[in-house]
Amino acid sequence: MHLLLTIAWRNIWRHPARSGVLIAAVAVGLWAAVMVIGWANGLMQQRMDYVIERELTHLQIHHPDFPDDGHPWDHIPDHNQITSWLDDHPQVRSHASRTITDGMLQSPVKTSGVRIRGIDVAAETRTTTFHENMVQGEFLDADLSNPAIISRILADEHNMRIGNRIVLTFENVDRELTSSAFHIAGLFTSASSEYDKRNIFVRSKDLTEILAGRPIFHEIGVMLVHEIETEAFVAMLNKHFEDILAQTWRELSPELSMIVELGDVMILLISLIIMAALGFGILNTMLMALFERMRELGMLLSIGMSKVRIFCMIMLEALILTFSGALIGMALAWLSLHHLGQTGINLEMFAQGAALIGFDYLIYPFLSIGDFLLMSLVVVSVTLAASLYPALKAVRIHPLEAARDA
Amino acid sequence: MPIVQTENLTKVYNPETVPVHALRNVSITIDTGEFTSIVGPSGSGKTTLLNMIGGLDKPTSGTVLVDGVNVTRLKDRQLINFRLKNIGFVFQHFNLIPVFTARENVSFIMLLQKKDKKEMRQRTDELLEAVGLGSLKDARPREMSGGQQQRVAVARALASRPRFILADEPTASLDTRAAMNLLDIMLRMNHEEQVTFIFSTHDQRVIDRARRVITMVDGIVEADEHRK
Repeated sequence: MHLLLTIAWRNIWRHPARSGVLIAAVAVGLWAAVMVIGWANGLMQQRMDYVIERELTHLQIHHPDFPDDGHPWDHIPDHNQITSWLDDHPQVRSHASRTITDGMLQSPVKTSGVRIRGIDVAAETRTTTFHENMVQGEFLDADLSNPAIISRILADEHNMRIGNRIVLTFENVDRELTSSAFHIAGLFTSASSEYDKRNIFVRSKDLTEILAGRPIFHEIGVMLVHEIETEAFVAMLNKHFEDILAQTWRELSPELSMIVELGDVMILLISLIIMAALGFGILNTMLMALFERMRELGMLLSIGMSKVRIFCMIMLEALILTFSGALIGMALAWLSLHHLGQTGINLEMFAQGAALIGFDYLIYPFLSIGDFLLMSLVVVSVTLAASLYPALKAVRIHPLEAARDA
Repeated sequence: MPIVQTENLTKVYNPETVPVHALRNVSITIDTGEFTSIVGPSGSGKTTLLNMIGGLDKPTSGTVLVDGVNVTRLKDRQLINFRLKNIGFVFQHFNLIPVFTARENVSFIMLLQKKDKKEMRQRTDELLEAVGLGSLKDARPREMSGGQQQRVAVARALASRPRFILADEPTASLDTRAAMNLLDIMLRMNHEEQVTFIFSTHDQRVIDRARRVITMVDGIVEADEHRK
């Protein structure tokens, strides 16, 4: 083994530039794969966290008809019984009840169709991070009658400012149209411009008074201690309570679930492309090295070096090159991920396009240690697989190659 | 005592398309300790004959007995092992391992034979001194002249204490002085180490110093001359 290691090591440094290029290719390949996956992970996680933590929550409870119809009279029966049960359950981190109805926003400039969301400020702040979207004014705790917060986009469209009055028109639980004036207490901006255009927030107690004259709730958003328990918890809720429909975030937002799944497929495809490029690069370099040494390998076979040893020698060369490149690549990738995981990758120039599809322009890439090691293993495996053909070709060289003219 | 015997050795290349008869019923016997040159013009079959004797190529028909073993019947793996233990090779283009020093090139074959380290070091130093390269033990092939490289190749071929050495045109890439010097070394080793040398050549300077000259023409042994 020592003999093979020595000869393999010396052979590697026979052409320092070529070996350097191969080591760099492995390092860059690994770095690129890790960064692409880290970036895609960050993008997906950011979108998931954003949607789940800012508004959607891990699961939601509705009246069974509400998700499809959105009628204000389809409110949650036995609301207090459910919230008491949730309060006592150790798997639940927090929950927030919401009163929701669809209506019209009227201003002197125009009229827009909006979803009016009545929230309890304290419960909402405990459960979601929506309040972090506030860019101006206060989060419904203003000393105004019927305060409302709208998005900056909507405010600009309606030429409204903080303190201005807006009129919201909607159907009440008796199926009668009713209008009420609200005052803009603050402005928010989320990552999705489409969401911003369609949602208005008011206090739950103000909205429920107009809708029904008593507290009614259409939605309970629940955050669990561990996201992974969501599906089991939803099943338990649906079994435990009648006349409600509990749904996971995946069911509530299939597009988000699809984005996550699509992201996984994209990661796989990008990784495959990078690995294929890396594999062919290594194959080419190892074959070049082999063709240059045909006579020498023929001589080794002539004087009595076994084919197994020649095979091992070529594979060892590939292994040393790969491990050197992989170690450099892993170190670079770890440093890059560590740094960019804190500062984020700033894609501000694409901010407008990203906002349209609900993504933030600041992406924090990350990769789990398991994925990191798996990626390194894949790179090493690809390199070894790519070296297999040259190594097998080397053992098929005829000893007579040694006698051929150069 | 014969070390190499060929019986009706025939080699035909491209037998099914355009047959080329490289060897035709060659039968020779070479005894231990001989210093034999196989001579003839290009294409006469001398290199093919050496390749058959060294087990580097298979004949179309006939047998090659080396020390009583029919090498034509050995399988690839057995042949490699057989060559490692019994045959030393010297090639026209030296074929040293460029990333190894002279010392490493010589000791390499003993490493393959798993020889004792101390014995290996001693034998390497002795051989390099014997071929006049005691001062170039740590030089790499690119730091040596052609003649010096070929002397390392001879030392390498002797390192494994083979039964005989096959050398294909060993002086073809050397100038006269280097060729004569190499020949002196080979003759001395033949005498001191009692190693049989079989080499192909068309260099008259080498032919003149051989003790036996087998002349080949068109794949046939035309003459076999023993000299004193």
